[in-house]
Amino acid sequence: MKDRSAPSALAAVRFDPGDRPESLRNLTGATKYLDDLPEPANLLHAAVVPSPSGHGRRMRVDASKARELDPSVVVLLAASIPGENQMGTAVDDEPLLADGEWHYAGQPVALVLASSKRLARAAAALVRVTGEELPVVTDPREAFARGELILKPRVQSSGDLAGAFRAEAEGGKARWIVEGRAESDGQEHVYLETQGAIAEPVDGGLRVVSGTQAPSGVQKAVARVLGVPMRELEVEAMRLGGAFGGKEDQAAPWAALAALGAYVTGRPVKLVLSRRDDMRMTGKRHPYSTDFRLALDAEGNFLGLELDFYQNAGAACDLSPAIIARSLYHAAGAYRIPAVRAAGYMCRTNLPPFTAFRGFGAPQAIWAMEAAVSKAAEATGIPALELQRRNLLREGDLTHYGMKMEDCRAGRPFELLLSRNPAARLEAEIEDFNASHADRKRGSWVIPLAFGVSFTKLMMNQGGALVHVFSDGSVSVSTGAVEMGQGVGRKVLVVAARTLGIPEDLVRIERTRTATVANTMPTAASTGSDINGAAALAACEEIRKRLLAFAATFLGAPDNELSLGNGLVLRGGRDSGLAWKDLVAKAHEARVDLSAHGFYATPGLSYDMQAERGSPFAYHVYGAALVVAELDTLRGSSRIVRADLVHDGGVPIDALVDRGQIEGAFAQGLGWAILEDLVYGKDGKLLSDTLSTYKLPDMRFMDFPIDIELLDDAANPKAVLGSKAVGEPPFQYGIAGYFAVLEALKAARPGKAGFFDLPLTQEKALDFLDGGN
Amino acid sequence: MLKSLRFRLNGKLVEIEGREEQPVLDWLREEAGLTGTREGCREGDCGACLALLGRRNLEGTGIEWVSAATCLLALGELDGRALVTVEGLAGEGPTPVMKALHVENASQCGFCSPGVAVALSHFLLAEGPRDEAAAVASVEGNLCRCTGYASIGRAARALSSDFSGLPLDFPTRLAALAARGVIPPALAATMQDLPEPASAGGPGGSPPLGGSPPLGGSPPLGGGTDWYVRNTDPAPGLSPRFVGRDPELRFIETRGSGEGATVALGAGVTVADFFASKAVRAIAPGIERFEVLVASPHIRARATLAGNVANASPVADLTAMLLALDARLVLSGASGARELPLADFFLGYKKTALDGDAIIETILLPAAPRAFSFEKAARRERLDIAAVNTALSLAVDSGGAMRGVIVSAGGVGPVPLRLRKAAAALEGRKPSVAAFREAMLAARDEVAPISDVRGSAEFRKRVLGRLLAAHALRLFPGAFTAEELLA
Repeated sequence: MKDRSAPSALAAVRFDPGDRPESLRNLTGATKYLDDLPEPANLLHAAVVPSPSGHGRRMRVDASKARELDPSVVVLLAASIPGENQMGTAVDDEPLLADGEWHYAGQPVALVLASSKRLARAAAALVRVTGEELPVVTDPREAFARGELILKPRVQSSGDLAGAFRAEAEGGKARWIVEGRAESDGQEHVYLETQGAIAEPVDGGLRVVSGTQAPSGVQKAVARVLGVPMRELEVEAMRLGGAFGGKEDQAAPWAALAALGAYVTGRPVKLVLSRRDDMRMTGKRHPYSTDFRLALDAEGNFLGLELDFYQNAGAACDLSPAIIARSLYHAAGAYRIPAVRAAGYMCRTNLPPFTAFRGFGAPQAIWAMEAAVSKAAEATGIPALELQRRNLLREGDLTHYGMKMEDCRAGRPFELLLSRNPAARLEAEIEDFNASHADRKRGSWVIPLAFGVSFTKLMMNQGGALVHVFSDGSVSVSTGAVEMGQGVGRKVLVVAARTLGIPEDLVRIERTRTATVANTMPTAASTGSDINGAAALAACEEIRKRLLAFAATFLGAPDNELSLGNGLVLRGGRDSGLAWKDLVAKAHEARVDLSAHGFYATPGLSYDMQAERGSPFAYHVYGAALVVAELDTLRGSSRIVRADLVHDGGVPIDALVDRGQIEGAFAQGLGWAILEDLVYGKDGKLLSDTLSTYKLPDMRFMDFPIDIELLDDAANPKAVLGSKAVGEPPFQYGIAGYFAVLEALKAARPGKAGFFDLPLTQEKALDFLDGGN
Repeated sequence: MLKSLRFRLNGKLVEIEGREEQPVLDWLREEAGLTGTREGCREGDCGACLALLGRRNLEGTGIEWVSAATCLLALGELDGRALVTVEGLAGEGPTPVMKALHVENASQCGFCSPGVAVALSHFLLAEGPRDEAAAVASVEGNLCRCTGYASIGRAARALSSDFSGLPLDFPTRLAALAARGVIPPALAATMQDLPEPASAGGPGGSPPLGGSPPLGGSPPLGGGTDWYVRNTDPAPGLSPRFVGRDPELRFIETRGSGEGATVALGAGVTVADFFASKAVRAIAPGIERFEVLVASPHIRARATLAGNVANASPVADLTAMLLALDARLVLSGASGARELPLADFFLGYKKTALDGDAIIETILLPAAPRAFSFEKAARRERLDIAAVNTALSLAVDSGGAMRGVIVSAGGVGPVPLRLRKAAAALEGRKPSVAAFREAMLAARDEVAPISDVRGSAEFRKRVLGRLLAAHALRLFPGAFTAEELLA
């Protein structure tokens, strides 16, 4: 198809699977997830009774039939809650159990406890919830019109907007002004392991095993609901079967319900949601409806941008304010635009509270910006690639929120991608194909990426670690990081082993427990390894310092000549004759403390919420992706035929892990863009509430060549061991899939204007193919 | 209800009094302590609960191993059979399949990984092509939300080349796989035969332990792959009738000769049996290419044709195909047997001519060869339920005219339809743009779809026309263009 102008740098990266015992445990079925744990003898199983419709009040709950089914069945309602019936963290608008009124279909109303899962679910199905129905609003613009806003709108602006949009005819520079609307639908997480928790009374308190990204958040939420001090609760997160943001805030209700059951009955309680309950009851990626307006001068330079984000927040605040913040920060995508106004409206609707999902508001913004680019290319006749290249962020640029772009790499991956796929060759590749195929058309799109890394809520950029070196030289590392498949455990392990200069197989990563490392932040915002790796690094450095000081005395050598490496104490880089294990044993005998707590607070972050100015990110992740799509013009179906990604991953701590994150995020992004269709009825009920109706990418969907090249010479001074965060940024590459399909559609209907309604399904494609111009 | 059951689990004989209606997934996790088999969706869509099921082959000449979603598999189905879970495969440590996935980092969160390992192990164990495409296709029934499948695909391709020379016949292949550690040798030694069932007549044949009639009824199940989706936690009193595993009912045979010859497909014939059948392929040459559009490998191995018909889903893929192949059904129950055309079987939405204890005992297809085409519009190309499907079959006479045209369509009405007006527009005419355009218009007029989660009514009408055009282009390549048909 094409010759490679440069060999993939990834091919040169050593992918060493090593022992990775956790991977082999996964594959042999030995890994235990929450629901795999042996069950205590007197365990009660729980099921949740949902609200009956999208909105109502004067709720009545009749549990008589459930109790008739089996007299031992326990039904708990809001009145059973000893503390506060409240799960909201930013705003107190989310009761754990609906009380009197309900605001979305699937809102938890009652907790049913029984001796078996089957019985609990059967009993829950018999609990009747009735009341007075109220009007249901599912559309964010309708909610906006009714004044149903959560918090105040947020607006970021920069530059002379009026000047930027002044047309040439009026003495301004704007040759073209394009505007339109970009709709993006929600997305279900489909973590393969559904939400769940086990709560068990222990020593007067409760031990909670929670499938959460935020054990400390769960601890705090449960303490509030039960009205007990946090010290009475130990929360542990085992390995999660996927999360993707869905278990950041929204794991807490299930843990709180299990804890409530255990508190009331004094028995252990397990609550694991069925797939359908999980899909109906939990929030997903926020749907957005966005107005865009972009001004360009005669050369195609972007002069001004206006974006108004109507965020469908669902029925409660949840994480919507932090998510709208990330949308605002990413309003201009990877582009430099001198005048910007970006406004975000958190619109309250009668749908489950939408929540964190990989990208956290950035995909919706980047999607809308890219829609503006697509429309600008149509209007100006300047190829999109040329518009993008001309307007990419450069070193020293100020963003519309006042952050100076330092170590800006927006151009490097973009140029590298185009050197691998020269524009003329790419164009010829597509045109030749289209000219020679009557029933198929191809289209391509390149998307540039600049993704800010750090929690948008500044205080959350902190983390702790506890490292023990045991007297035999083996090492235990605990952090606040939760392993959910993203490989954070692996990365922390590498950080610890390298810092202590020991083989990786001496190190063990512990489960995440609140009594071990306290007040941790969710493992989220792609910061898991940045923050927890740095905290582990701090703890390991403290221990290394102590051990080297001891070794200096022991060896009678100046400690600036000593270092740790290859499982040895090195003197001037050579074996000193003292092995790690002996060093540890002798240090222990000499009463050296072999444990240390490490703490990391991301430096250099600042933000003034009033002025909407500051530097909220430690750094950005850059990249560029090419996606080529092929449309079957007869059937209206399409598929991706190839992709080429150039990604700035810093110096990967583990290239194999990063490759997996890039490929996985890209697949999710493509799923969001052209496949996954979250369908709510006008009554607020989720219609696509099973995996037979909600289709996510499968092997066939993703079976096309993907080239990935990592930028070399890319060390990042702002994160641990020169690495960069990798979880969320590559998700945005999937957005190119939408525009690639759109370009193919436009090839089938030359001259017809594009449309921006994500996901781009077969039905929408046929509307386009069959509709008028 | 409780039944005596005898089966082999990971090579060891198990004899229990078990709840025959209980999903095997629950039994494995809750009773057998085997938690590597996991629940991801409980409707056969994710593959996290896959295990290998050993059963008699279609011909009755030996054993075949299929991968099965244990969430859709009744415990009673195991009587006289054998099951291998991921723990059995990994009994002597990680296998080459697991290591192939491991070196590609194809297990991230790990929740789906045992299912993927089982599917790829089955790929090596099963008959059929062992090229890269087949390796990749073997995991089409497995969802993974972490990897984006690229690493799983690399592992699958590596396995297909590492094991390219596997022997074709089952005992030799099994021995080769044992020698290379894909199956632990001790386990492999048990995989060539099946234990005697606890019930003399096979499952469904044993009297209930209590003696009273089953409280929950006795629904006839083919593979149960649809029934369990709708009945995720069946009541303990239930006693399903396991039609799909009655060896007497799993047959494909040609009856009669000449013009009246028919191919008879028993109630136990699976979707995979159907597409593999030489007799079926002789009726509709090339029909096997459409197999991948139906469900997933592990569903096709257990779902039955009769079950697909009996469910009366308006979008049943196999039913659309059978309608176009002019199928007739033999319904059989206590009150006797009767035969009727498949098109007359559907009385209304999910209502059929089955009554009392009757089952679809046999499906009859005229044996005369026909040109055949199937089309399907769904959100996802693989393992998805159709928004609209359609099949078309016809013969071309010596004068070049289309004869015996049958057009079927699903998803455009309350039942699977035979589009008689569309067929009439083609009947007796030579293939032409005009004829097919008339058929497309006629089809639009004789359907009345509704809007639901899979698509709007308007979309369904529109896509049906395009799928009919696709039939025309497939059956008469080069005769006309899509542009002409859609103009």
